[in-house]
Amino acid sequence: MSLIKQLWIAIAVITALALGGSLVVSTLSARHYLEQQLQVKNFDNATSLALSLSQMPKDPVTVELQVAAQFDAGHYRLIRLTSPSGEVVVEREFSGTLDGAPEWFSRLIPINARPGIAQVQDGWHQFGTLTLDSHKRYAYEALWDGTLQQLLWFVIGGALTGLIGTLIIKHITRPLGQVVEQAEAIGGRRFVTTPEPGTMEFRSVVRAMNTLSDRVRTMLAEESRRLEQLRRQTQHDDMTGLVNRGQFLNLIDSALARDDAHAAGILLIARFSDLAALNLRLGRETTDSLLRDIARHVGEFAAQHPDWEAGRMNGSDFALLAPGCEDPGDLALRVGQALHAALDARPEGHTVALPIAASAYAASESRSHLLARVDGALATAEQSGDRAIRVAERIDKSPPYDDLQAWRNALTSSIERDGVRLGRYPVRTSDGRLLHDEAPIRLMLNGAWQAAGYFLPWVARLGLMPRFDVAVVRAALQEISASGAQLGINLSPESLCDATFRGELFGLLQAAPQAAPKLWIELPEYGVVRHLGEFRALCVALRPLGCKLGIEHVGARFAHLAELHELGLDYIKIDAAVIRGIDTNAGNQSFLRGLCMIAHSLGLVTIAEGVSSDAEKRLLPDFGVDAMTGPAV
Amino acid sequence: MPAPPCSCRNRHLPGLARGWRWFVRALAGPAAVIVGVSMAAPDLDRMQQLAHERYGAGAAEAVGAWRSMVADAGTLDELEKLQRVNTFLNRRTAFDDDIAIWKQKDYWATPLETLARRAGDCEDFSIAKYMSLRLLGVPAEKLRLIYVRAIVGAPGSGVSQAHMVLGYYPSPDAEPLVLDNLIGDIRTASRRPDLFPIFSFNSEGLWVSGASTSSADPTTRLSRWRSVLERMQQEGL
Repeated sequence: MSLIKQLWIAIAVITALALGGSLVVSTLSARHYLEQQLQVKNFDNATSLALSLSQMPKDPVTVELQVAAQFDAGHYRLIRLTSPSGEVVVEREFSGTLDGAPEWFSRLIPINARPGIAQVQDGWHQFGTLTLDSHKRYAYEALWDGTLQQLLWFVIGGALTGLIGTLIIKHITRPLGQVVEQAEAIGGRRFVTTPEPGTMEFRSVVRAMNTLSDRVRTMLAEESRRLEQLRRQTQHDDMTGLVNRGQFLNLIDSALARDDAHAAGILLIARFSDLAALNLRLGRETTDSLLRDIARHVGEFAAQHPDWEAGRMNGSDFALLAPGCEDPGDLALRVGQALHAALDARPEGHTVALPIAASAYAASESRSHLLARVDGALATAEQSGDRAIRVAERIDKSPPYDDLQAWRNALTSSIERDGVRLGRYPVRTSDGRLLHDEAPIRLMLNGAWQAAGYFLPWVARLGLMPRFDVAVVRAALQEISASGAQLGINLSPESLCDATFRGELFGLLQAAPQAAPKLWIELPEYGVVRHLGEFRALCVALRPLGCKLGIEHVGARFAHLAELHELGLDYIKIDAAVIRGIDTNAGNQSFLRGLCMIAHSLGLVTIAEGVSSDAEKRLLPDFGVDAMTGPAV
Repeated sequence: MPAPPCSCRNRHLPGLARGWRWFVRALAGPAAVIVGVSMAAPDLDRMQQLAHERYGAGAAEAVGAWRSMVADAGTLDELEKLQRVNTFLNRRTAFDDDIAIWKQKDYWATPLETLARRAGDCEDFSIAKYMSLRLLGVPAEKLRLIYVRAIVGAPGSGVSQAHMVLGYYPSPDAEPLVLDNLIGDIRTASRRPDLFPIFSFNSEGLWVSGASTSSADPTTRLSRWRSVLERMQQEGL
């Protein structure tokens, strides 16, 4: 039973006791008073009638008249004169019924006034004994009216007390809801702080919980910082601060395995042609400074987009991975201009050779093909001149549709004609239990159901993501309703920022209260980091609907995610770039272990993406990974 | 008879406790009446004890003498009881006005007070005789306290005064015997031409010996007769 109800019952009981008690006491004392008055009246009237009878002639008519006059003019139940031998001489009795008070009332609270008795004398002789009893009707009536009035006040007083009591209880317990909410949030590992309420006890509780939240937050921030340091140490090049070769190759793998709007992209490499000679010519320090300068510029390009990455492939090669970017010629030109201008800005830079090559890639291409193609282009560039820029065309694939308009027609007609289908990729816990199925979008294009990477980049370019995401949500909810399965779907950052989409999503989930708790909704890390405010709003809006919320492709930017501790997320999916080759990469192992630790302290389920070998699958649970997905699962 | 340690619990009964008792009785009216009736037995030890406390050893001795008279007379027939009681009280008690004894214009004394003071006026004599006879088992309906107009001085002188005597009716229709403090012997009413009856009363309907029923009611104090009845009850009768 809730505290408010209990307090209310307590107030009601106390009020009833107090008012009921006072009702009983005052009724009884009124009864006592009435009894006394009646009795005195009985005694006095009996005496005075006896006195006057004693003085009068005792002929029967006079006696009868005397008694009758007293009876008729007064309020009596009985006046009786009995002779000394016990016969009744005169008797007058009221024979009407008692009205004025209900009978049960006069039986419940009887008024016991004794009749007055007096002796009538005839000279020295006894003439008789006079018994006189007043009628109690008016006494009962007064008592009944008094009780009714009391009862009325009782009801009014009770209602008033109840009303005031309710208001007071409401006032007192208002902060309680807030306290309970915070306690539940902390129970769900959302470490929120709330303003301290005025009531002393509640204030202490809230203060304690705020302290706890602050402490956890501080601890998480510290852990995140340490982990970020560790990540930098193991995944980044010491000198330039760019991602090192091993991690960059993982990132390429991860990018190639992507199945969303950024499934296609560009890989660009800039190369200091003869680093050894440069070292000899300029001296080690100048060369290092030059390398750092170029690395900084490459890094700046990557920083412009949340999911672009800059890396140092080896001593002389600087690479830029640009998922979602479509025009390799333009990108290469812009990077070339920036880097060459940076070189020219340095006195020794004019003579330095820095050829650049770039190539577009498509979803599910192999890494070695891509690297070979870019390397080939780079070799051509090196042949062509110190500052040459070459773009390697993808010769193996011709696009199914010629231009944007053709794509638009194909996409819209497909979604209208065939709708979307959902793929199924299981996510299993380390003991093999199915957590949910990842359900990426499939579309009928070019005569076959195509995977997301095939068409989503075009959908994104055409600005159709919200429309497709809504279709996915609808399809997923239908499938959940039909099969009862747990399904995970991806939402794009474009949809996240689209108010119409958010409204539609909310409406769809509200309309399917049974299915919503089985829907796992995830957004890519780069999208969340870029649109933190919108993501926060989405979390707050979706939490009451029961669906699970998570972030996918978590890796390099996890430090930002630690700030999301109060959002009540349910899970994170750790990027394949961290998972790939975890069995041999000691640095990533430490990083993964730390990441899982932080995630668990926030109550998040950790899921590894892109698990591709049995060795990885075997080892991952040891690092704290709860569930896995990928080719090996 | 040595006075056994008596019901001292009520001796220092303070006003507050009395007030409380009244309150409780008011709350639980009928129940208290039953309790009161159940205590109905004259407590003459208490009466003697009270006399000792209030008026000293002499008073206790007077009450003691009265008690032994009552005890002795218990086996006599009613007429002899009348005689014994009348003689005892007339001899042991001096007539005096209330104003002299009690510093009040009119005061009805209880038997205890009359015995202790060894003085009383006509009501006090009548009340003491009435109560003594009631104790001796004479039923109330045979006894009347009678207001009479008494002719004083020579017959026909016309000088009269208010007086009270105790009347005894051997049977309801009979002429009463008059127990008077003015003359020593008991005569029938017809032999008392100096007395003219005005009004009579007894304790019928008012009083149960030893009980404290309606006397709990503060209106009692307003009636001299009820007041004296209540005080007698408190004193153990």
